[in-house]
Amino acid sequence: MNPLIPLLVAVPLAGAFLIMILGKFVKDINKYIATLTLMFLVAATLVLMAGTGSDVAVYRLGGWDNINGIPIGIYMVSDGLSGIVLCIINVVGLLSVIYSFTYISRYTSENNYYALFCLMVAGMNGVVLSGDLFNIFVFLEIAAISSYALVAFGVGRTELEATFKYQILGGLASLIILFGIGFIYWRTKTLNMADIREVMGSETGKPLYLLVQMLLLCGFGLKAAVIPFHAWLPDAHSSAPSPISAMLSGVLIKAVGIYVLIRLFFNMFIISNETAVLITTLGTLSMVFGVFLAIGQWDIKRLLAYHSISQMGYVVMSAGMGMILLSKGIKPEVAALAVAGALFHLINHAAFKSLLFLNAGAIEYRTGTRDLKEMGGLAALMPATSSTSLVASMSISGIPPFNGFFSKLIIIIAAIMAKFYLLAVIAVLVSIITLASFLKFQRYAFYNREAANNGNNIREVPFPMVLSMVLLTLFCILLSLIAIPQVRDVVLTPAVNVLIDPHLYTSPILGM
Amino acid sequence: MSELINLISANAAMAKTEYAIIITLAAGLVLFVIPDRARTFKGITALTVAVAAAILTAGLYSSGPQRFIPELWNAGKYLSLRIDNLSTLILFFVSLFSVLILLYSIVYLKGRIIKNFYSWFLLTLGCSYGAAVADNLLLFLTFWGILGLTLYKLIEAKNEESSATAKKSLILIGASDSIMIIGIAILWRLSGTLNMSEIQISTGSPLTAVAFLALLAGSFTKAGAFPFHTWVPDYAMNAPAVSSAYLPASLDKLLGIYFLARILNGMFITGEWLTLLLLILGVSTIITAVMMALIQHDYKKLLGYHAVSQVGYMVLGMSLGSVIGVAAGLFHMINHALYKSGLFLSAGAIEFRTGKSQIDDLGGLSRTMPVTFAAALVFAMSISGIPPLNGFASKWMIYQAIIDFGSGAGLANKLWVVWLGLAVLGSALTLASFIKFIGGVFLGRRRNELDKVKEVPALMWIPLSLLALTCIAFGVFATKVVVPGLFMPVTGTFAFTGFWNSGLVSLLVIVSILAGALIYLATGIKKFRTSDSFIGGEKFHEQTAYPTPEFYKTFGEFRFLSAMYRKANEKWFDIYDLSRQAVLWFSHKLSLGHTGILSGYIIWVLAGLAILLLIMI
Repeated sequence: MNPLIPLLVAVPLAGAFLIMILGKFVKDINKYIATLTLMFLVAATLVLMAGTGSDVAVYRLGGWDNINGIPIGIYMVSDGLSGIVLCIINVVGLLSVIYSFTYISRYTSENNYYALFCLMVAGMNGVVLSGDLFNIFVFLEIAAISSYALVAFGVGRTELEATFKYQILGGLASLIILFGIGFIYWRTKTLNMADIREVMGSETGKPLYLLVQMLLLCGFGLKAAVIPFHAWLPDAHSSAPSPISAMLSGVLIKAVGIYVLIRLFFNMFIISNETAVLITTLGTLSMVFGVFLAIGQWDIKRLLAYHSISQMGYVVMSAGMGMILLSKGIKPEVAALAVAGALFHLINHAAFKSLLFLNAGAIEYRTGTRDLKEMGGLAALMPATSSTSLVASMSISGIPPFNGFFSKLIIIIAAIMAKFYLLAVIAVLVSIITLASFLKFQRYAFYNREAANNGNNIREVPFPMVLSMVLLTLFCILLSLIAIPQVRDVVLTPAVNVLIDPHLYTSPILGM
Repeated sequence: MSELINLISANAAMAKTEYAIIITLAAGLVLFVIPDRARTFKGITALTVAVAAAILTAGLYSSGPQRFIPELWNAGKYLSLRIDNLSTLILFFVSLFSVLILLYSIVYLKGRIIKNFYSWFLLTLGCSYGAAVADNLLLFLTFWGILGLTLYKLIEAKNEESSATAKKSLILIGASDSIMIIGIAILWRLSGTLNMSEIQISTGSPLTAVAFLALLAGSFTKAGAFPFHTWVPDYAMNAPAVSSAYLPASLDKLLGIYFLARILNGMFITGEWLTLLLLILGVSTIITAVMMALIQHDYKKLLGYHAVSQVGYMVLGMSLGSVIGVAAGLFHMINHALYKSGLFLSAGAIEFRTGKSQIDDLGGLSRTMPVTFAAALVFAMSISGIPPLNGFASKWMIYQAIIDFGSGAGLANKLWVVWLGLAVLGSALTLASFIKFIGGVFLGRRRNELDKVKEVPALMWIPLSLLALTCIAFGVFATKVVVPGLFMPVTGTFAFTGFWNSGLVSLLVIVSILAGALIYLATGIKKFRTSDSFIGGEKFHEQTAYPTPEFYKTFGEFRFLSAMYRKANEKWFDIYDLSRQAVLWFSHKLSLGHTGILSGYIIWVLAGLAILLLIMI
């Protein structure tokens, strides 16, 4: 019963309230409260991670213990996988808040901004820590609704249009998810994920089981922007203020989309081969279509947004390969490799994609445009932005020695080892097109013409923005260390073990 | 006792290799912090580091073949290194070129701004060392891949053309690196190890053939061989001369061919069809690139095409599979790096003083830049294969190897006349295009605006002369010293079959030159008829003067060739542009579907869900 687990949700909720109340009276206190909240969350996550290690820590809210092995009450669960995602949420959240100090001062009503930000973080932490489906749904809505408001924060024409689409499609997803949860509850009389696995375990292959799977796949797939459910993402992610884009692309689609998909399909459902193949196919489609859509874009943030679809495709595909192998019961070590590749890429994507959105924000902050055709020669004027974005671009394109190279390497090697040669070839081709489109970004934004062609008042962005970007750059470089086996054992292996052996997850919850 | 000595020397070799890699990489990173205003200081620091690393790597020559895993990174099997005669050879020449080019760059770079040139330079050096000694394929790929990034940063992308070139180079290099991952993964799956020294696999099955081709693509792109060569000419044209001399002309060639040697003579046992494929690619590289070189007006781009064309000879030599062929390929690789980096540095010297990039705008520089001219002449004669220079020596060995190869039984062996004929033809065309280069830049009538051109500073011509002297020495002493001393330890000994003794030939050449000089002096021919170029009886005017490249227009006017050249200019043969068109076309088609209309998107979601349900239930 680690008390830090509920605090990870309670503290940002409290922070949001305090910001709204105290912010009315004390000027500028909003950003301090937000920063302190996020700093606490980062520290708490690290302590929690160090404390749990490779165990699964269960927090029973209100102290309601199991009765005859049946969980009652609300359970919060922290294991290796949720630890990784918590780290992503809170670290990127902290850096985005620091970045916002100067960036967001252009807008009015900063109180609302920081309060919504804390609320969104609370929602995501809640999703990741929930042990039951309905709380996942509730926290998902908290995160989603605050993100609807944050996307619309600029209240311009495009922002409102984007947030409208985002809300409609997001609402549709929530509806489908709730529908799925309803079916499960009707059938099993329980909402605890571990318990559902036990109760529904005998029903694999029945139409209802598949229907529920497909409903949840569709709903959370929409949150994760898996093709063909991706249409809201380019608008929403490109219209939001840049630190929010970084949170949405770098964190939100992972916490409420990919994380839940992985958790449900590895730990809650007993997955059949067909479902696993389907998930892999969806991942591959996202990977391919996302990158093709991205390379034609000239708006930086839209380009980045489409790449989020493509990179999440890598994660889903790699996790899917792991599912296929597990469902067939062959080559468990390759399945572990594939899952490890997926999680590694998930972490890496959080680092480089948030950095890229912060870079785009810095460029927009100084030049006032997002159109690549109107920029050029910024490398000399904005050296920090230029060099950090070079690192991020190289990371996402898989150029060594940056982190993206190693995760893609693991994914491709896992595909070959599992004899999915076609997937390996597709992954390589997508990686090449990714490289091409990021070199396009580098070329048109930072080179291509003399610096003097820009206006006189373009210079490096203020210190807090630079600080966030530099720290994320360091992550892009240091995360490569996860490729080293000893580090991988500490960071990834607990999460991988929980996923490929669901008993590790269910037994502490069910008390068996 | 002898075991103890082995152990000590092994540790010494390990320490030397590690230090060479670590000091260059660390110095490269540290130099990022020092502002570019202190450029000369940075240059001298870099030079010091490079010299230190060169001494360390040269010291490896005596250590003998060995494999080891550095203890200092306790990360087990992924960091295994290997030193054998091939890698010491590569290490030695990598050091040599980096020191000479650094020396040259200290003055050369004063006029131009490449941000953090010396940092990227040292990182390149360290990663080249790493790639040359890595035994583990993943470690190798990491070092190898960083070289693509440094290549990208060593070009000053300040205008549209050069930034497009930087982009194209890194896309092609990065693409080939990604493709290599497939090959490495297949090898790992099939042989269960990642160490190059432990892999030996036959290319019989389709899977191994794919692995072979994937690794080959990496090697070919790095070295710049057909059909992945298209970044080299562009890079040569737009990058500063030091960068072209450093990466595409020397280090990328050394490493690309090094890896080719590893693939062909260790990791794979190639079948007949793959040998045939390699030979076809080799001669295509020679011929297509040299044909393109003939019609160039920009002298750096001309050199760039030759940097491709010469790779064909190395590929030919390597793919023959015989000992002499491999030795010839390696010898040609070293020779090429010597004269081609020399040529790029000469081109840099010309550009440094004149600021012009077109042959048409130059001429008559031999008087004012005598050292550059002499060096460039040596390089040009070497690359064209004129005895007794080094280019001739290695080409001669390649011809010998092809003739030997002809005695075999396979289809590729039967076609030996084709390979030989095309290789010789390529050599002749190389000579033709270098007459243009030398004639157009250094000879002929000097333009008025070039009157003030001076010789380059000593720090620039010293490396040039050193390279030129090495070219001569490698040619003159080829059969007696250089090949037995440098290449036979790598490949094993072999006999020279044809009658050719480089020392004797050189002696004859020197004797005939002396005889000519003697006749000239003895008979006292003092009166020359000086006259303008004959231009059909017209009086010579500046306006009607034909620049040398015009004479080569004829090549482009043959019916078949002119069509090919037109297509080439429209980028029909550039793998980069072809794939780019295809990708952008598909991208456009896809984006048509994204109308931005919400109801459409809702239909997608519901249709997606319906399809999922239909498939599954």
